[in-house]
Amino acid sequence: MSSQEGVRDLVNSAVESLSQVIPRVTQIYPPKAFQQTETQIEMSVLIGITGEVSGRIVLEGESPAFSKLGEAMFGMPLEGEMLHSCVGEIANMIAGKTSSILFQKGHKIDITPPTVVVGKFQMFGFEKGISVLVHIADVGEVNMILLLQQ
Amino acid sequence: MGNILVVDDAAFMRMMIKDILQKGGHTVVGEAGDGSEAITKYKELHPDLVTMDITMPVMEGTEAVRQIKAAYPKAKIIMCSAMGQQGMVVQAIQAGALDFIVKPFQADRVLESVERALK
Repeated sequence: MSSQEGVRDLVNSAVESLSQVIPRVTQIYPPKAFQQTETQIEMSVLIGITGEVSGRIVLEGESPAFSKLGEAMFGMPLEGEMLHSCVGEIANMIAGKTSSILFQKGHKIDITPPTVVVGKFQMFGFEKGISVLVHIADVGEVNMILLLQQ
Repeated sequence: MGNILVVDDAAFMRMMIKDILQKGGHTVVGEAGDGSEAITKYKELHPDLVTMDITMPVMEGTEAVRQIKAAYPKAKIIMCSAMGQQGMVVQAIQAGALDFIVKPFQADRVLESVERALK
């Protein structure tokens, strides 16, 4: 697939995946360019994408929002290491579902195991960034960033 | 009711699967965080069934299924993965997995698959 087509399909598939995996999504804001290199939020998960499109899926949010999201999805409030593991798994589900939706569109990508980062950090080595802000009822906001290497 | 080995790199997911299995009357005899550890634990514990993730560090789940089935052809393994595309499912079944459960999953779906595999 062309890189432009690949980026478009990846963004659309990731947005579709968000609404399928995360319950009670009330609003998905339009994708916008991500240009800053430093994340602004305290907890992030990075999952690598390889294949027809390569890059990273980053899910970022505040701990209380992720804790409420874990409770909404799995029925229990979480903190500490179990919260980090849960957040990694939620991102894994979003990336896995994204790859399944892309596969149905005729594209093949693979994903890496998630890396959870606590604290702000800087990201380099991507050519294009797209962020999608999601509002979830009773949880708050979570931001998904797609970092693409073309 | 079976003795089950739970394999997933996410501690949270191992906890969730363990909880579902124990509420369903099964015993979780061990846990592993990657495919290589799963092979070691299988040899040590000889569980009735294994639940196996796919995307894991060190060794991915499908390769672990191949190696366990090569050494123990009667091993019963079901996959629990976020990677639900057809190609992955086919590879896992060809490697010897009995079923494929896509995350996020419902407890009923896990127990139904486990109980069918144990029959």
